[in-house]
Amino acid sequence: MMPALDMALRLAACLLLAPLLPGIINRVKSWVAGRRGPPVLQLYYDLAKLWRKGVVLSTAVSPGHVAGPAVAWVALAVASLLLPLGPAGAPLAFPGDALLFVYLLALARFCTASAAMDAGSAFEGMGVVREVSYAVINEAAIIAALLTLGVQTGSVSLSVMLAPPAAGAGAALLAAGLFGVLLAENCRVPFDDPNTHLELTMIHEAMVLDHSGPPLAAILHGAALKLLLFAVLLAKTVLALTSLSWLATMGALGASVLVIVVLVGLVESLLARLAFRRVPLLLATSFLLCVFALLVAWKGGRL
Amino acid sequence: MTPGDLLLISLAGMVGGLLAHRSPRRWLAATLVGAGAALGAAVWTLAGGGVWDWQPDFRLGGELVHLHLDGLSALFLALLSVLGAAGSVYAGEYWPDRRHPISAPVGRVWWNGLLLFMGLVLVSANGLHFLIAWEIYTVCAYFLITQERRKPAVRQAGWLYLAASHFGTLCLFAFFALLAVHTGGWDLKPMRDHPELAPLFWLALAGFGLKAGIFPLHIWLPSAHANAPSHVSAIMSGVTIKMGIYGLMRFSGWLPTPAAAGWVVAALGVESAVLGVVFALGQHDLKRLLAYHSVENIGIILIGLGFAMIASAHGQPGWGRLALAGALLHVWNHGLFKALLFLGAGSVLHATGTREMSRLGGLWRAMPWTAGLFTLGAMAIAGLPPLNGFVSEWLVFLGLFGALPAHPAALPAAGHDPASWAAATAAILLGLTGALALACFVKVCGVVFLGLPRSEAARQVHECGWRMRAPMLLLGALCAGIGLAPVLFWPAVACASAVWEPAWLADAPAPAPLLALGAFHLALAALATLAASALWHRVKRNGLARAGTWDCGYAAPTARMQYTAGSFAGTITSWFDWILRPHRHSHLPRDPFPAQASYEEHTPETVLEHVVQPAGAGVMWVSNLVRGLQHGRLQAYLFYLLLGLAGLIVLALMGGGK
Repeated sequence: MMPALDMALRLAACLLLAPLLPGIINRVKSWVAGRRGPPVLQLYYDLAKLWRKGVVLSTAVSPGHVAGPAVAWVALAVASLLLPLGPAGAPLAFPGDALLFVYLLALARFCTASAAMDAGSAFEGMGVVREVSYAVINEAAIIAALLTLGVQTGSVSLSVMLAPPAAGAGAALLAAGLFGVLLAENCRVPFDDPNTHLELTMIHEAMVLDHSGPPLAAILHGAALKLLLFAVLLAKTVLALTSLSWLATMGALGASVLVIVVLVGLVESLLARLAFRRVPLLLATSFLLCVFALLVAWKGGRL
Repeated sequence: MTPGDLLLISLAGMVGGLLAHRSPRRWLAATLVGAGAALGAAVWTLAGGGVWDWQPDFRLGGELVHLHLDGLSALFLALLSVLGAAGSVYAGEYWPDRRHPISAPVGRVWWNGLLLFMGLVLVSANGLHFLIAWEIYTVCAYFLITQERRKPAVRQAGWLYLAASHFGTLCLFAFFALLAVHTGGWDLKPMRDHPELAPLFWLALAGFGLKAGIFPLHIWLPSAHANAPSHVSAIMSGVTIKMGIYGLMRFSGWLPTPAAAGWVVAALGVESAVLGVVFALGQHDLKRLLAYHSVENIGIILIGLGFAMIASAHGQPGWGRLALAGALLHVWNHGLFKALLFLGAGSVLHATGTREMSRLGGLWRAMPWTAGLFTLGAMAIAGLPPLNGFVSEWLVFLGLFGALPAHPAALPAAGHDPASWAAATAAILLGLTGALALACFVKVCGVVFLGLPRSEAARQVHECGWRMRAPMLLLGALCAGIGLAPVLFWPAVACASAVWEPAWLADAPAPAPLLALGAFHLALAALATLAASALWHRVKRNGLARAGTWDCGYAAPTARMQYTAGSFAGTITSWFDWILRPHRHSHLPRDPFPAQASYEEHTPETVLEHVVQPAGAGVMWVSNLVRGLQHGRLQAYLFYLLLGLAGLIVLALMGGGK
């Protein structure tokens, strides 16, 4: 019974903590701008309200409009079970789970994108096109990052791949590359601006225009969960956590996730969103950073 | 019953169906019996791991008949019989005698011929009989493709197919003839101990690769698949092009291969996978798009096969087995989901009369079964868990990751294996292919089935009947089945890979991760269903209102404002302009009150347009020059004779009468 309990506890922790991250980002942004800003727990209030609200469905949509967000949310939730948390490892670990992790993110993308196409809106189409197009380069970058970890550890399981920290220059390159992927995959500045009010310039927010009520809650919670997954993945690639006790590990992991989230907030405050024609260049840069990390790993971590 | 008996029943069923082609019912019954018996023989071989070998004292064309069914051929035979049966049931409603009084019965003759002779290719172990069966099924496929030969586009596609296929057959003819010269007989068997046969592999690669549709040998494939009736497209894409893969696997397993062969196959695989899906993104004809995805998936199979060949040459059974298992399982998977997608596309074509995606939209309302099953196939081909496409791509990925150097930090001095460099590149590009395929199928599902109808044709549609739906349901169930319980299908794959490389044992247990993956897939599917129904109940409880799609305050949205196939893919295709070379015709809006504006983009078959056609034009130009010599003037002909004679005399004198 213990593994099942362990799994349930971790899943619950991930699901409960995820909505905190966007709140922290907003808090950082308002702090930099000198505003009071929304409460840190704002997303929890929003989710609770949306869960209780009624739904307005477009006359064009199919049942997939509701099923899509649900399946995407499940894909992200089970993906969180593949991420190892320090010495305790991951609740589910087997060789090849790293690739399953990547493809679960792809499943979530397919479901949200199809649900957005469902409404037949030009704006949502625009968001979907950007989402699936930019994901092409991101996917290549993530595979390159996984190859880097695979070369370092000789494994294809996240529990082993993320156990020892990357060393030196390789770790810096990999962290920079993965940070770029994190920003792009979670639709943050400079790739997308979650706060703009102009649908023409959005990606993620444009895709959810026709969602409301509980399905919108599932999408927003899923997005927060995805941010948490990427933050943990990034923290684990650079952090040495093997020698610490359980409590210290959790503390270190939490602190590094916090640092990453604050960084995201600072980037968002200090940079403007890129013009869309420049986005692929920046994505390609993070892909190249991951490839350089791979080359460094190949040389045994020495430049 | 032995496989021999079953294959005899299968032969009887196919020939019986051929004779009874006038009566659709009797034809269907006989063909289904034939397919079922062949499936039985294939399952017997795959499950038992046995080999059925039959050499009667009977000559055909001067050669002794030799039939041989082992794990590798049984794997393809199983796919052939499942898709053959599905296509036979589908054809009854899709291509009925009512609407096609002439071509339907004749088509049934060619259909049975196609199935029968593909089966014979799979079991014949004599080079001459292999070639004869190969040629006959190629011709049968030509007549099936051109069933609507009143249309010029169909005739053109058929001609291109026939010409390209014969170029391939020519290579195979040379291959088998040289093989017979070297070995002293047409009999085929494992001959790895004859290293002098290795260079013949290149001929096999050209001939079989053309049939398989490796980029850039795929020129015939898109138009042939698009213009054939949909059940024919399904079998062409599901099995016929796999015969090329069968040939490559069969002869890379039986014959020695040159040292570079694995590298070349893997490189061709990577390039076919990426470029196939890029070309697919540029298409707006539904069936043409699916055809380009065949090029992509053939590429994925070849990546697995190529790395298995490298592993076999370097003595690396660990990851080589995984790559090969991925390739073999992908043969099945691609056959299943691509046939499902083509049958779904056929159902759309049947209901709307158009393959142009930008005229469709919102079909899910009238065609919920087709839409649901097509989406299932789309998720499978995009390699999404928990479906079958992911399982085989995952095995190929595991093979590639296995080829990485283990702990290079521990062995910094050791020279790096080139295989690991190649594997890393291939893994990145395979990931890229997966993301591109996902983008492409979001586009297809979104534009064809979701949103609002873009034309009158898409508004007045009907769901297909049960005879078209049942085969799709069967294929969809198999796609889900392989995804949810991959371990059940492992023995078949292990059996086939042991035939390819006898050093890799057949009775090796399924890799433990596969078991874990299957369990994970089951849990994922259960949780997804649960979450979707829970969310739906919540939505209903909270109250549901209907309103128009939100268009940011614009008061008169129309269906034409939706994203179309071309605009959807525009971002990605613009990155690949260098190879796609699309034709663009734009008439941009001018003046403050523009009267009209239009934009048209069309992605041609670039290799055909920029390589094959210029080459053909060059040949025609040279031929035209030579034609000037023949003009009907007798004096000049006599002069040629004189010149020729003089030339011969000079030659004889110079040669010194040797």
